[in-house]
Amino acid sequence: MASDITNQSGLDVKFPESVWGWLLIILLALICGVFASSVPWLVKYPQNWFVPLADWINIFTDWFEAIAKPVTRFIGNLLELPMQGLREVLQWVPWPVTVLAVALLALHASGWGLVVICVLASLYIALSGYWEQAMNTMALVGVAVPLSLLLGLGLGIYASRTRSGQRIMPPILDLMQTIPTFAYLIPMLVLFGFGPVVGLIASAIYACPPMVRNVSLGLQSVPEEIREAARMSGSSSYQQLFWVEIPAAMGQIKVGINQTIMAALSMVIIASVIGGFNDIGWEVLSTMRKARFGDSLLAGVVIVFIAIIMDRISAAYANRDYLSSGSDAPSKHHFLIAAGALIVLCAVLKFFDIGTAIEEADWAKSIADWLNLKLDEFVGAYGDILTSIKNFFYFFYLLPLRTGLSQSILPFTWGFDFTGPMRISYAVMCVLGAIGVGMRWGWQKGLGVAILAYLLYFGTTGAPWSVVIATLTYLGWQVGGRKTGLFVLGALGFILLTGMWERAMLSVYLCGAAAIMSFLFGASVGVWAASNDTVSAIVRPICDTFQTIPLFVFLIPTLMFFQLGEFTALLAIIAYAFVPAIRYTENGLREVSPQLLEVAVEQGCTPSQIFWQVKLPLAMPSMMVGLNQTIMYAFAMLVIAALVGTTGLGQQIYQALTAANTGLGVVSGLSMALLAMTADRIMQAWAANRYAGLDG
Amino acid sequence: MFKKTMTAALLSLTLGLPAAYAAEMGAKDETIKLTINEWTGQHISAHIAGETLKKAGYKVEYVTAGYDSQFTAIADGELHGTMEVWSSNAPDLWKKMSEAGKVVDIGDTGLKAREGIVYPIHVKEICPGLPAWEALKECAGKFATAETLPQGRLIDYPADWGTPGADRMKGLKLPFKAVPAGSEGALISEMKASIAKKSPLLIVFWQPHWALSKYKTEWVDLPKAEDACFSDPKWGVNPDDVNDCDFAPARVFKVVWSGFEKKWPAAHVILKNVSIPTEDQQNMMAEIDQDGGKLEKVIETWMASNEAKWKPWIEASK
Repeated sequence: MASDITNQSGLDVKFPESVWGWLLIILLALICGVFASSVPWLVKYPQNWFVPLADWINIFTDWFEAIAKPVTRFIGNLLELPMQGLREVLQWVPWPVTVLAVALLALHASGWGLVVICVLASLYIALSGYWEQAMNTMALVGVAVPLSLLLGLGLGIYASRTRSGQRIMPPILDLMQTIPTFAYLIPMLVLFGFGPVVGLIASAIYACPPMVRNVSLGLQSVPEEIREAARMSGSSSYQQLFWVEIPAAMGQIKVGINQTIMAALSMVIIASVIGGFNDIGWEVLSTMRKARFGDSLLAGVVIVFIAIIMDRISAAYANRDYLSSGSDAPSKHHFLIAAGALIVLCAVLKFFDIGTAIEEADWAKSIADWLNLKLDEFVGAYGDILTSIKNFFYFFYLLPLRTGLSQSILPFTWGFDFTGPMRISYAVMCVLGAIGVGMRWGWQKGLGVAILAYLLYFGTTGAPWSVVIATLTYLGWQVGGRKTGLFVLGALGFILLTGMWERAMLSVYLCGAAAIMSFLFGASVGVWAASNDTVSAIVRPICDTFQTIPLFVFLIPTLMFFQLGEFTALLAIIAYAFVPAIRYTENGLREVSPQLLEVAVEQGCTPSQIFWQVKLPLAMPSMMVGLNQTIMYAFAMLVIAALVGTTGLGQQIYQALTAANTGLGVVSGLSMALLAMTADRIMQAWAANRYAGLDG
Repeated sequence: MFKKTMTAALLSLTLGLPAAYAAEMGAKDETIKLTINEWTGQHISAHIAGETLKKAGYKVEYVTAGYDSQFTAIADGELHGTMEVWSSNAPDLWKKMSEAGKVVDIGDTGLKAREGIVYPIHVKEICPGLPAWEALKECAGKFATAETLPQGRLIDYPADWGTPGADRMKGLKLPFKAVPAGSEGALISEMKASIAKKSPLLIVFWQPHWALSKYKTEWVDLPKAEDACFSDPKWGVNPDDVNDCDFAPARVFKVVWSGFEKKWPAAHVILKNVSIPTEDQQNMMAEIDQDGGKLEKVIETWMASNEAKWKPWIEASK
């Protein structure tokens, strides 16, 4: 999106015509306020104006399913073969052999340090009684990953080499990553047949975008000299691609491989909702249904360990220099001998029937029971305190954001009524504040204050649709140019016309509330971690765990602490979305150039001045990417948060799923994706402006 | 055809089974796949049915499958039967596939199912008038939370299961706000937390469920349900609205693929006859979920000591 900003105004440049735009929006807001009762459609979009898109989609899919089913079923069966084969091999091999094979791979990829980590992790999986489930999961991932990689490579080449690819791939990739899988599960089941194949395909769809992005980035950044050299030595375009450009882009492509593996793994749990496969995700889900926190935590840790093993090994391969052989690792020769020895060991163990997996581990069970008991005790002892914490956040944070101050200040929430004179003084204060801020820091900031005050009064769900759409479209236009403005208008228009507006605003509210808190929390931890290596070392594995553990696991304790409702959902979303805020903040701060800091010290800046006036502004672009990611993650969690009783688009997707209503599912899923993309476009354009500002 | 029957007869002779079944066994070398859904009671029903089929000489496989999504597979004959479909919470896919004639209802599972509004026993101290439903009018305030103030809070089924709790509260004009639970895990977490904290709780629930055998609970006494209650507003305590009564009794039934009878005639008769006593299921559920027993072991024990119950199902197929 950076390309179309150049000839538009940045936020910091004074452009008189944009003042008029904002004033028009304020006028519209005033009209909505005054004529709310006489022209109600300005505030609340009337139901009989909805476009029945969901019904049309249903008619289309019924038709399409009938035609495509033979083909898709065939593909489904074809994919099932390697997966079942891999599954049987993994189940057949005695677990000690598998553990040693992983150790060998770790040694080959990096060295003894990684071997220790991998062996400990796989020993846990073997001894906790989840070996069978873990191997089934591995079979799924083992086929999903190559599939996504191949798909990603193909699409990546297409995206980097053709004009049409450059144009249409980015939005398609965005959709692949932001439409919740649940939204299209039903048609997938019909098309590909019941069972793990659907999970496989869903994983592949979700996991291939990082590969596409990295492949096309890698290919585009191959130096022109290399291409020229290839052309001069007379290679065909095929040779040039596969023998010259792809090897030259290998570094970037390997980053993509690593990200794709992690994304595929994170989809495992979603795949298990369909069932048909006794995998580790199913185990987590069924213990969650029984609300057995201890058991689901132990099973969830298995997924974390699988993720750690796969991440570290693939990252080690990615970081290894392709030309030089492994540094301290034994030679290729030795590895062949070791592999041979493993095969012999496998035969011996099989012959004596040693090494069949443990089905149930007593030690794991007693830990689980202990955890369950402690959780009960904790809730019993601190229940009242927990309830007061929840009430505080609910009354003073969530409720005002949702329904606005106009509805949330009541005797039984804030302890007093929001009377007429108080409302008027709120309005007067806001106007004065806006003017004050505007005169001191420029009119843009003053307008910002006015708009925030307006939204705070009406709340996310109470604000008139016309004002919301006008504000966001204009904002998009201001920061990202005409293209961004039109995208925002189109996206929000789609949501409005298909009748998803009210649900979408509930989702926006919950996501926004969570993103604000995640970012504040994550950024503070990131600042701390950037200044302290010990903190950084502690925070990193915690971040890894939160990114890979199925979050269903944390729903149970949060539910027991805070009961059903939006506060619990808020915490669940925060638990997932705070990680990128930490990572990008720490990264941004650590990468501020030391020379600049030296200059600042020489000029006699105090530490607090250095932080606020040098480091933070320089780290801001990176932090904005972090905020952007936080918002994306929050949207991704919305569907899971619906399991604890939220009412937005997430719930709608579940309802569509149970009702087998493909159209409704797809429309809600698309609405969610469009919301996420709207936030993404605006933020990215804004961050790009800041980058441009830093360069100049 | 004759040859095939003869081979089957010979085979069953060598396996030591009465030859009399052979003619009706059907494709007994092809595995019958029964579904395993998300709750323990269903696992028990599926295993009892499956183990009985095994005793009769069939190959059986248990496949984990979502309660809703399983019907796409059963309709296509990829999976072959499911042992617990609840009429109160029947997936729309079931209705769709059954109307299309792809899946068949083969009768009750035998469970005495009940749905209603439940509270843990300690709640009686908070609202002494219980279990009479009228007491809730006075007590509503005690069930209030931040989200529902000033109304009381009722935990309803997840929204995708329907909103029976909200319907009741409206029908009976009780000052309660129904909060949808989102998932079964959420319902149980609510119950666990309430018992741990001794806090007030009113929740829509069903039986047989292991939680009701594990925790001491009672049902709220609502006016007895009649058909008229759901169609005629004038019926019952509230003359202006329907749903002013208890839940209609739920039916739990077995469903198989429409091609099942043709492919495995004897197995079809056996499954039709399978009937699982509510008490047995609830006891086994407690053994598994409460005492941590292994499903296969628990089923094995039941099969060994209840021959009198399952033998007749096989006899009937002769």
